[in-house]
Amino acid sequence: MEITTLSQPSLLTQLRALFVIARKDWKVFWRYPLNAVSSVFQPIIWITPVYFMGKAFSTNGQATGFAAYSGSGDYMSYILLGTILTNFILTVFWGMGYALKEDMDAGVLESNWLTPVSRLLILVGRTLTSLLTTTITSTAMLIIGATLFGFKPTGNTFAALLTAIPMLVGLYGFGFAFAGIILLMREANTLVDVGSFLVQGFSGTNFPVKSLPYWLIPVSLMLPLTYGLDAVRGLLLETRTLFPINVEIIILIVFMFLMLWGGAQIFYRVERQVRILGTLGQH
Amino acid sequence: METTITPRSLGKPGILSDVLAFYAILRREWTIFTRYPSWIIALFIWPLIFPMLYILTARALSGPDGSGLAVFIQTTGATDYIGYIIVGTTVWMWQNIVLWDVGFSLRNEQMRGTLESNWLSPTWRFSYLLGHTGPQIVSMAMFIAITALEFGLMFGVRLNGSGWMLALMMLAAIPAIYGLGFAFASLVITVKEANAFVFLIRGLVMIFCGITFPVAILPEWMQSFAKWLPQTYLIHGMRAAAFSNAGVNELLPDLIPLISFGIFWLLVGYFTFLWMERRARRTGAIGQY
Amino acid sequence: MSDIAIQANQLVKKFPARPGTGDKPLEGGAAPKSGKKRWQFWKKEPKAMFTAVNGVDLQIQRGEIFGLLGPNGAGKSTTIRMLCTLLEPTSGSAQVNGFDVVKQANEVRRNLGTLLAGERSIYWKLTGRENLEYFAALYHIPQVIAKKRVDELLERMELRERANELVEKYSTGMRQRIAIAKALLARPPILLLDEPTLGLDPQAARNLRELIAQLKQEGHTILLTTHYMEEADQLSDRIGIIDTGKVIALDTPEGLKRRIDQKEVIRLEVTGWHDELGDKLKSITGIENLMTRRQGEADLWEVNMQAHNSRTAIPRIVEHISGNGTRLVNMNIVKPSLEDVFIHLTGKALRD
Repeated sequence: MEITTLSQPSLLTQLRALFVIARKDWKVFWRYPLNAVSSVFQPIIWITPVYFMGKAFSTNGQATGFAAYSGSGDYMSYILLGTILTNFILTVFWGMGYALKEDMDAGVLESNWLTPVSRLLILVGRTLTSLLTTTITSTAMLIIGATLFGFKPTGNTFAALLTAIPMLVGLYGFGFAFAGIILLMREANTLVDVGSFLVQGFSGTNFPVKSLPYWLIPVSLMLPLTYGLDAVRGLLLETRTLFPINVEIIILIVFMFLMLWGGAQIFYRVERQVRILGTLGQH
Repeated sequence: METTITPRSLGKPGILSDVLAFYAILRREWTIFTRYPSWIIALFIWPLIFPMLYILTARALSGPDGSGLAVFIQTTGATDYIGYIIVGTTVWMWQNIVLWDVGFSLRNEQMRGTLESNWLSPTWRFSYLLGHTGPQIVSMAMFIAITALEFGLMFGVRLNGSGWMLALMMLAAIPAIYGLGFAFASLVITVKEANAFVFLIRGLVMIFCGITFPVAILPEWMQSFAKWLPQTYLIHGMRAAAFSNAGVNELLPDLIPLISFGIFWLLVGYFTFLWMERRARRTGAIGQY
Repeated sequence: MSDIAIQANQLVKKFPARPGTGDKPLEGGAAPKSGKKRWQFWKKEPKAMFTAVNGVDLQIQRGEIFGLLGPNGAGKSTTIRMLCTLLEPTSGSAQVNGFDVVKQANEVRRNLGTLLAGERSIYWKLTGRENLEYFAALYHIPQVIAKKRVDELLERMELRERANELVEKYSTGMRQRIAIAKALLARPPILLLDEPTLGLDPQAARNLRELIAQLKQEGHTILLTTHYMEEADQLSDRIGIIDTGKVIALDTPEGLKRRIDQKEVIRLEVTGWHDELGDKLKSITGIENLMTRRQGEADLWEVNMQAHNSRTAIPRIVEHISGNGTRLVNMNIVKPSLEDVFIHLTGKALRD
């Protein structure tokens, strides 16, 4: 008696696989409710000391020292925007990289890799959910932050949102490369911790890049996130930008394509290494 | 003819054996800790990077001409904002690490399945928790020393006061900080998503205790709440001792509440432990995860 | 369609070795000298490699149940991982359902249902049904068909009532059943089951073996690995025994047992056993492969050995045993079982 497989790949099934992966991640995310709540309140908690510290540097609610660097004395709006980006950075590092490692340790990654679906597609599916859930938690955080600390966008919101898109896409492109590297590491915690911290520090999430010691500034300039955040702030808060906004947007778009392509390449390369070395599912 | 031999246990109970068991736990903890390759990063890199975000933000707030800094000096009375900040962040790190380390020590054993085997030994069980504390204090002392060294060398942070007074402050804080850890350790065994509680407690310290700002800047209601957190006194006292050349008399307003809270939290920690232990014996929860 | 479901040709897998564990050099001076001249310090040392699988050949017929047995570290799981496309062979080739495992990996995956790592292979924060629906989509099963298939499998695995509960609330047996259902989702012609009854209670294990037999009736080809001899014996049409990276025996269960038919197995139960006794017994001519196993906590030992001629061996055995505090409680002469064949071929017990 002959048995034939029920598996019939087509464009439709590929798209459905993508959807199903995103939906699975969505379900699993909300089934850890405390985690979801924490991701809204944690950022607020972390910037509270900054808020009060800023007050110690301000007279009548204006931080004149800060204004000299950034073009605006409203340091909280500046930082709130930076914190949203931090959210996305942390999600990419912890959500993509570390979560992949957790799946690997749990044995469930093997199950996914045994299916006839491209591994990059699996990663892309994860990305979609991650983008969505982080946008939701960031919005919630922004609303709460605005109530507590004040948030005064004086510029063009729409343009700012538009500019954020290539930045985030590029960030996730980098996430592909990072996910690949995590597959190889036995202990991922430290790499993720330190990595996410450094990226936060250098891309200007909490302070203007210009205020860094001059010998560190080149590192910031190498990160596309720096330009993205700078441009978004420039558009939304009318702060002074490092370069003309148009230039920064072009840099962003170039980096986006580069990150997407480069990230996928690195992921494939590392994934192949994993197949040769056999570290999947073993620790 | 048959002679029966009654088996005699080799263990002799007494103070000496408790102390030896205590020491054995100490040694084991240290060995395990140093077997993880990343412990070097934990010990050398984190003391540096964690405060940096706040320090760099403060730097930005000072402005290129230092105009913001002048305001800061007026508001806080401190001339060295870097020293000011690292005292606060170090205390926060201390409490944070204790919550994770000591707080999860029992839970980790439970997950590994070794809690039961430890429980079966006749040692006074609280010494088990105390045993976790020993190496923890040592590594914390190293952490703090390294912080001081790194910031002293790289940023020129200088002590303007007595190192002994500083040490006195920190010693006085040990009961409070670790008492909280003990209470935590006992609760963690019974609660599912214990992580959330660590986030809560360290969040409170972050918001209320003035880690990067003077508590006086907080609105009234927040200042009242801050008075109930021992870390507030610790931070205030350490800053005074390290940078304002404070002597014992000046430090008393911080030392007394700190020690009082310390005794309180130690007692809470101890009784929570007893409660948990009794409950576990009733419900058999020790072996479960 | 070809009669051969799985074909492996000289599969080899080498891993970079940890220091001190690499392949041992050949005897007789063939070992490469690692002493470089001092001025050659920039030349890289050839990396030490550890050979897990050393030339495995397999031909698994369509519709048969093939049991793969081997002690720990024999190369069993490495071989399986190569066949199911998780691991790339260092050399050699393999085809599953006619598709090459390296070059046509996705086609292989479409035609292969795999059970690895049981309950760890599914999402605990999803319900049983959600798990199956998820994987069905990843196997490119059209939605309409998938829905029916999931219902069908939940029914067959007797999980329909609790299908909408989170897997984290299931028992181990239930999780194993979901994992099996997952392997069956795409109705693959070939199934690869790695230790399917591990950790199951006897009733559940028995049900699973019945299921495996049914699946064979339905036309599936099954590659099975197990630690349980009786299971391999009962279910397999043919058995391959793998040790130190090579297939050292491949035959039907009967064929394998016939190999040591000339030998008989003497099984003793003694109290007061000591190791010198083992040496004395081994010195008796015709006695081989002595294995001892302690029965529980009591001072009771089971001693197994293979003898060419039990008649001449027994008096000598009894002679050696009596006295010195050792007592013979029971003695049996048994027909060799598959486990005995295994010990004969590998010198090791299957479970150690």
